Amino acid sequence: MKEFLKGNYKLKTVIKEPVVSDTNSTDEFEKQALSRLGGSICFVSKKGFLWKGEDGKTDGPRETDR
Amino acid sequence: MDLGKRIASQLEAATFERIAGVGLENAAVNRPKIERSILELGDVALGDGDSAVVVGAGPSLHRRDSLARLRKSGYTGTVVAVDGALGSCLRAGVVPHLVVSVDPHRERIVRWFGDPAMTAAPADDYFRRQEMDPAQAQDEVAANRALIGLVNAHGPQMRAAVATSAAPAVVARCEAAGIAMYWWNPMYDDYDKPDSVSRRLHRTNGLPCLNGGGNVGTAAWVITHAVLGKRRIGLVGIDFGYPPGTPYERTQYYPELREMFGDRYAEAFIPVDSPFVGERWFTDPAYYWFRTVFLDMAREADAETVNCTEGGVLHGDSVPLLPLEDFLAKADRRE
Repeated sequence: MKEFLKGNYKLKTVIKEPVVSDTNSTDEFEKQALSRLGGSICFVSKKGFLWKGEDGKTDGPRETDR
Repeated sequence: MDLGKRIASQLEAATFERIAGVGLENAAVNRPKIERSILELGDVALGDGDSAVVVGAGPSLHRRDSLARLRKSGYTGTVVAVDGALGSCLRAGVVPHLVVSVDPHRERIVRWFGDPAMTAAPADDYFRRQEMDPAQAQDEVAANRALIGLVNAHGPQMRAAVATSAAPAVVARCEAAGIAMYWWNPMYDDYDKPDSVSRRLHRTNGLPCLNGGGNVGTAAWVITHAVLGKRRIGLVGIDFGYPPGTPYERTQYYPELREMFGDRYAEAFIPVDSPFVGERWFTDPAYYWFRTVFLDMAREADAETVNCTEGGVLHGDSVPLLPLEDFLAKADRRE
């Protein structure tokens, strides 16, 4: 707005710039939209099939590059 | 990259956003019900030999009459069904050894077990709109009533592999029908990360975390080889796609795609040839992601997996196609 209001006068009213939606809000919208298309359970890349707990045991290959 | 494939490539992170919150809430509610770990199923005799059939709820299950053929074969190996295929199994006279449930949706999923609270057809058209269980698409109230009776009759013969994320209504229903429940955590994220949700959940309940591949069908397959130790697995009804001619509005994610892309929603669908039946099926971004993940996971599995769906889009070097009878005959010879 300011770029259109340049001149040899001063406004008494302070014009507040509307908050322009930034990349973050676009990202948030996309994330929300995509989440509606997601699955019913996660998939975690390169972490094997079954993690049994703190002792680090897994069933099936783990951390292999695919 | 095509729109559909571009969306599919982002669904690993999106799924966490979709289900982690409600899944963890359900885990807290379900906590008092947890008596057995899924690992205990490794010591239970479920079917003969080292083979298993995993039953999904895709349209090929009915198109190919897979369950009637399975029953007719007299197959004595293990049968693992996803919750959405339970009704079809029982109506066909196939009582699965194990039924798998994971979806945290609070209202919908209990319908796969017969919802005792349902008195009228709901406004939600989820069941009427799709082909997962054609019986549910007609008279929903009558189909639900019949399913309650079937599940109650066969409940004590079955076991359920229930994720802690499952809806409390599903847990109550399994309990009421006498289905013994064996519990596991969905793997939500990398358990090696210091702030891992999976690790935190495991600390609260001591249950193993299972990498589910995005959907209950893949989770059922993971349980079949990684927990039950089956080494030869045939898939039926796991299509990850829609047969040619299926109206877009009868696909699972149609409302969401329509809302996201408006009139351009059709661009999100992805055609895939199904060589077994010589047809061009199509899939949506979510199912395409499930397919990609499954094919990758199958390369790493310590089991041979063949696709006996005779349709669908799940095929590749790690999951070859095979007629159902060929799989069952080979399984019989080995047992």
